[in-house]
Amino acid sequence: MIGLALTAVLCLAAAAAAGPGAEAFESGGKLLAAGDAEGALAAMEEALQAEPDSLRFGSEYRQAAIQVEAYDRSIAFFEKLVDVHPSANTHLNHGFAYVDKIPAAGAITQIILANTALNHFAKAIESEEAWRTYFTRGASLLFWPKIFERAPLAVADLEEAMRLQGKDPVRSYHVRTYISLGDGYWKTNQIEKARTTWQQGLDAFPDEERLGKRLALEGNPLAAYIEEALDPNTRVDTDLREIWEAEESE
Amino acid sequence: MIRYAKSISGLLLSALALYAAADGPWFKDVTEAAGIRHRHTKREFDNPYADIMQGYTALGAAVAVADFDGDGYDDLFLTDSGVEGKNRLYRNEGDFTFRDVSSRAGIADSNDERNASADALWFDYDNDGRVDLFVVRFGASQLFRNLGDGRFRDVTHEAGLDRRRNAITAVAFDYDRDSDLDLFVGSYFQDVDVFSPDTPRFFPESFETAENGGGVAVYRNNGHGRFDDVSREAGFAISGWTLDLGHADADNDGDEDLYVAADFGADSFFVNNGDGTFTNRTEKAIGIDTKKGMNIDWGDYDNDGLLDAFVTNITDEYMREGNFLWHNNGDLTFTDVARETETDRTGWGWGGKFFDYDNDGWLDLFTVNGWVSAGEGNYVVDIFAMITTPGVDFADARNWPPMGTKSLSGYQRSRLFRNLDGTGFRDEAARHGVDSIADGRGIGVADFDNDGRLDLIVANADAEPELYRNEAPAAGHWIAFSLEGTTSNRTAVGAQARLTVNGETLLRFVDGGNSFAGQSSRRLHFGLGEATTVDNVEVRWPLGTRERFGPLKGDRIHKLVEGSGKAKRKDE
Repeated sequence: MIGLALTAVLCLAAAAAAGPGAEAFESGGKLLAAGDAEGALAAMEEALQAEPDSLRFGSEYRQAAIQVEAYDRSIAFFEKLVDVHPSANTHLNHGFAYVDKIPAAGAITQIILANTALNHFAKAIESEEAWRTYFTRGASLLFWPKIFERAPLAVADLEEAMRLQGKDPVRSYHVRTYISLGDGYWKTNQIEKARTTWQQGLDAFPDEERLGKRLALEGNPLAAYIEEALDPNTRVDTDLREIWEAEESE
Repeated sequence: MIRYAKSISGLLLSALALYAAADGPWFKDVTEAAGIRHRHTKREFDNPYADIMQGYTALGAAVAVADFDGDGYDDLFLTDSGVEGKNRLYRNEGDFTFRDVSSRAGIADSNDERNASADALWFDYDNDGRVDLFVVRFGASQLFRNLGDGRFRDVTHEAGLDRRRNAITAVAFDYDRDSDLDLFVGSYFQDVDVFSPDTPRFFPESFETAENGGGVAVYRNNGHGRFDDVSREAGFAISGWTLDLGHADADNDGDEDLYVAADFGADSFFVNNGDGTFTNRTEKAIGIDTKKGMNIDWGDYDNDGLLDAFVTNITDEYMREGNFLWHNNGDLTFTDVARETETDRTGWGWGGKFFDYDNDGWLDLFTVNGWVSAGEGNYVVDIFAMITTPGVDFADARNWPPMGTKSLSGYQRSRLFRNLDGTGFRDEAARHGVDSIADGRGIGVADFDNDGRLDLIVANADAEPELYRNEAPAAGHWIAFSLEGTTSNRTAVGAQARLTVNGETLLRFVDGGNSFAGQSSRRLHFGLGEATTVDNVEVRWPLGTRERFGPLKGDRIHKLVEGSGKAKRKDE
C-alpha cells in the first residue's frame, strides 16, 4: 500500500514537473509502479543528471531507493552527482542517502553513516546558508548520544534555522524547528528553554501532536519519549516534500 | 508467539499471593561469611600492544558449579587470570560455608606467561560418575581428571586437548548420542600467541562482520579418554569471535542443537542432524545480526514446552543493540521478543541465566552487565574516533586507541527479571539486593544449602565474586531432581524433565555448561507454587527413552536413575 501511494505521488509530481528531467522522472514513477525497481531507479537517475539541483527529484529518488532497499546504489549515485554538480541540494541529498541507510545498518555502521552524512550536511551549509541546510545539520546532530557532546552544536544550527525561518512567511515545515530546537535545549539540560520553544511552536502550530506530547510529559517519561524519537534504529523521515512543494509554489 | 492470551493459572495466582507476602530483599550477600576469599585479577600484558589489549581482555572471571566430591552439595570453582593468579576450588561444607581445597586438588596453577584462565567447565569426560574439570584458557586449555579423593590429575596431553586455541568458553554434551560427553570449545582470538604476537593484525577486522576470530572446535570423545578434533566433519567451519556456546534440543527431536554467540558479528545456530553432523541454520532460524553476542542460555520461559534462548548484546547510550530473547516458534525459527518483554536493555550484557528464584513455576532471568568500571573518562569517544576514521584497518591492533584508565559502559547494574506469567518480565534486582555495579561476567545458580531456594554466585572481573544466599521468606514449594544416566551419559547431560502442576507443564533440562563464564548446578529444580506433590515427572533421557517417576513429594531432592523406574531420596 505504501509503495502504491508513493508511486502515485511520484507520477503526480512528475506530471507537475516541467524541466529537462521531467520525462525521465515520470518514466521512473511508472516503472516503479510496474515493479521494475531497476528501471525506475535508472530513469530517476537520468532525471537527476538532467536536473541535479532538483531537491524534489533527489528526495523522490531516495524514497524510491528506500522502498527497494537500494541504499548503496543511492549513496554511490549521489557521490558521483555531487562531484559533477556540488550544490546545497546535491550535498543534502547525498547526506540523506547515508541517513536513509542507518536503520538498516548495524550499530557501529550507523555511527559511520551518521558521521559521513554530517560531513555532507556541512558542505551543504558551505554551499548555501539556508533554513534547510542549517535545520538538516542541526537535526542530524541531535541524534548523537550525549557523550559525544554534539548537542550544543545542534542547538547552534537550529537557532540559526529558527532565525532564518523568522524572516520567511510561516510554512508548515517550520514546526520541525520548534520540535528539534526544543529537543536540543532538552539535551543540553536547558529544560525551561526547551519547554518555552515547544510552547512557542504549539502556539504557531496548535494541531501539532508532537509538541503537545512533549509539553504534557516531564522527567523520565519525557526522556523516554525524546529518546524514542531520536532512536537511530527508527527510520527518520527524510522526505523533503514539504520543502520542495513550498519552494515550487513560490 | 508468546501466549499473551494465556489465562492466569492457579499456580500463578498462588505464587502472586506468596510473593506479595514478603517485601524485603530475598537475596543476601554472604560472600565473606561463606569463606570465599577470592579476587579475580586481569591479565597484564607485556607486549607492544599491552596498552590496547588491556581494555579488550577484561575477561576471565568465571565460576563453575558442580558437586565434585559427590557429597550432595554443589561446590565452586573460581578463576583468576593474572599471571600469578590462582584458581580456586571451594568445597561446600553444607552449612553455607566453603573451604578452599585448591592446593590439595592440584588445580590452582593454570596461569602462566603463555596462558590465562578464561572460563571453566565441569564434565564427566570418562563417564566414571565423577565430574572432571576443563580449564578454558587464552593460550591452551587444560583437562583435569577427578581422581575421586579430592585430587585431580592433568590429562590434557593424553586427552589430545593441548592445542593452543585461545578459548573463552566450552560446553560438553553428547552430540552423537554414543553415551559420552563431547566437548565444544569456543575461541575468541584466532590461533596467535596473544601474549607475544608476531603480528599486529590479530584484532577484529570489523565491528559487525568479523570472521578472523577463533571460531568453534568440536572434540569428539572416543570413549577411551581421548578427544578427536572433528570440527569440519561436524559442520563447524566458522571463524567468528566466539564468546559463548549454548546447547539445547530446540526442536524436541531428541538431539542437541547449538547456538554460538559471537562478538563483532553474527551469532550462529546449528541444528543437529542426528548423524554426527550439524547444519548451519542461522539465516532461517535467527537471521544474520551484526551485534555483540556475549551470552547464550536456554530455558522455557513461557512454559510452552519449547526451549527459548536468551542472548546478551550491548545496549548503551551510544549503541542500542538490545539483547535477544529468542522465543522458540517450534519450527526451528525464533522470534526476538526482548523488547516486548522488557529484557532488551540491560547495558553491556555478559552472563544471563534462567532460574526460578521464587519457586512460582516460571523461569526468571538474572543478568550481569558492564564492561570496564574505571576512571571518569569515557573510552567510547576514542573508539568512535577510530571507527569514523576513513580507511582504518581495524584488524591492526596499532590502530586501536589505548584505554588507559578510562571506563567503558562501566558501573552498570545487574538485573533480576521476575517472570510475569510468561508474557513479560519486571526488574526486581534492587528490591532483592542483587543490583550490583561490579563488572559481572559469569553466573552460577545452585541451591547451595539444599533448602529449596536457588542461590546465586557472580564472578566479577578484577574484583571479588558475590555469593548471594536466597532467603526468600515466601517462596513457593519446590522439587528437585538429581539425574543419573546408565545407558545414557552418566551425568545425564541433555536429559529433559517435564512435570505438570496446577495445569502448567514445566520443562527443565540438564545442560552441559550453558551461559557465559558460568556453569550452574546440574540438578533440575522446579518451583511448585502452593503444590506440595507432583503426580509424576517424565524424564526423556539423552538416548531418547522416556521414563515416568511418581507420585512424588515436594520440598525435597529426588535422585532419578535411568531405567530404575523409581525415585530415591538424593542421599539413598
